[in-house]
Amino acid sequence: MEQPALRVIDACKTYDRSDHAALLPTSFEVARGEFVSLVGPSGCGKSTLLGMIAGLLTPDAGTIEALGRPVTGPGDGRAIVFQDAALFPWLTVLHNVEYGLRAHKVPKAERRERVEDALRLVHLDHVADKYPYELSGGMRQRASIARALVMRPEILLMDEPFSALDAQTRTILSDELQRIWLETRPAVVFVTHNLIEAAFLSDTVHLLSSGPGRIVKTYDIDIPRPRDEADPALLELRHDMLDRLRAEVDDAAERRAQVAEVSAL
Amino acid sequence: MSTAAGDGTGGGTGERPGTAARAAGAVAMDLFRKSWFVILILVVWWLISATGLVDPYKLPAPGDVLSTLGTLFTERALLDDLGATLLRLVEGWAIGVVAGVLLGILTGGSRFLEDGIRPVIAGLQAVPTIAFLPLAILWFGFNGTAVLAITAFGTFKPMALATYGAMHQISPTLMMAGKALGARGLFMQRTLIFPAIVPALVTGLKMGWSFAWRALMAAEIVVTGAAGLGGVLELGREIGAIDVVMAVILVILVVGIVTEQLFFTRLERWVNQRWGLVGAR
Repeated sequence: MEQPALRVIDACKTYDRSDHAALLPTSFEVARGEFVSLVGPSGCGKSTLLGMIAGLLTPDAGTIEALGRPVTGPGDGRAIVFQDAALFPWLTVLHNVEYGLRAHKVPKAERRERVEDALRLVHLDHVADKYPYELSGGMRQRASIARALVMRPEILLMDEPFSALDAQTRTILSDELQRIWLETRPAVVFVTHNLIEAAFLSDTVHLLSSGPGRIVKTYDIDIPRPRDEADPALLELRHDMLDRLRAEVDDAAERRAQVAEVSAL
Repeated sequence: MSTAAGDGTGGGTGERPGTAARAAGAVAMDLFRKSWFVILILVVWWLISATGLVDPYKLPAPGDVLSTLGTLFTERALLDDLGATLLRLVEGWAIGVVAGVLLGILTGGSRFLEDGIRPVIAGLQAVPTIAFLPLAILWFGFNGTAVLAITAFGTFKPMALATYGAMHQISPTLMMAGKALGARGLFMQRTLIFPAIVPALVTGLKMGWSFAWRALMAAEIVVTGAAGLGGVLELGREIGAIDVVMAVILVILVVGIVTEQLFFTRLERWVNQRWGLVGAR
């Protein structure tokens, strides 16, 4: 059996001083080349989970294996795209994309070639010499995706990459991401609170609920690609996920009410 | 972007004749608003000395100070003193800046090092730099080197503190992005931490410059052997030439304003633009 790209085994995190949401022991796998989304309301621990996979947070217990090796820090075949693009404001788009290659001491000629390829892939070759502040939000996020892809990651981690964009840009970039993923085929872990976005992009969607965070349901989506965001099957799926989430929120509210009652006794 | 004219009042070139006149009026008004108090001081000064209210040995007339200034430049080669002082200022400041920023960057990444070193520098910063002059004279001699050392030290303290402060304000996401891309150690300090703190450091540079300027003047007044404005100031006091003292103060004032306006304001504007702190975001 082929080794999965990512294996999360009973990883959990309790509240600490930082603002990371708590997460009950959680397990799932991501196959090579698979697109997996973690969806849920804020506080469900989806970003916490992604941070642990990225190697930026340490789980309290449990293990995370990427490409068969335990995760001990960032990098090592994993690249990450943040919500606010997090481009280096003092570098041009080109030098931003080149940064990781420089850090890895890739020779100059190869660097230039790979940067050009990555920029062409996200359709940013015409603004290579612009600074981040000269770009729109959507273009900044494209640059950020290029900066991750230039590392040729086997696992691409995306933390609500489109949530700061307007609805139109978001739709366009979702489409673009599908195309880019079909061309480059990394395994993707995509965190979002947008159900339709998750359903549109993913092979597998893990629905998380809060208080404390845990996976409540997993959806396998085998609609053929390339997909259309207006596909009725996707809308139906979204409906189902929404119902499930509503039920969870009601349950959580009820549990909290019960706890309040009990502690009032 | 680089028009240095009146800030905010840069009136467009109007199509109608009245617009240009109104723009010129606005510029004049702006100029007046910013200079009326200076003019008032000069007038009061002139009145006091013209009416003989105060002995001219205590307060010479503005005109006399101006003519003394001319004489100082032509006959006593004040330009050489000004040059010597400026050179010492730039040297001392540059040494202090490099040392302060290096110390901040190299030790600011470690809580152990920063927690040990930072309070000591903050403590030293509470002591006026000039208090260390006797020490510097004992170490380096009664000469320009002691003055230079004091100037550098006066810059070093605020620069190191500014660097620590700036490092705490680097966006955590930016640091995470760098780490995730494989930046480590010296590469990270050089390519991420240093550029990330530059905008905050520019403010520090300005502060460092004013601390350097103060320390330098105080030290030069004491260590009068070498050429320098402070020496001329002290000489003026010795021979009781108040016009000389006031002329030199005028030069010091002008140097301060010119460096502030010509250098730091432009540097700040350039950095803010290049780092994208204006406009978007």
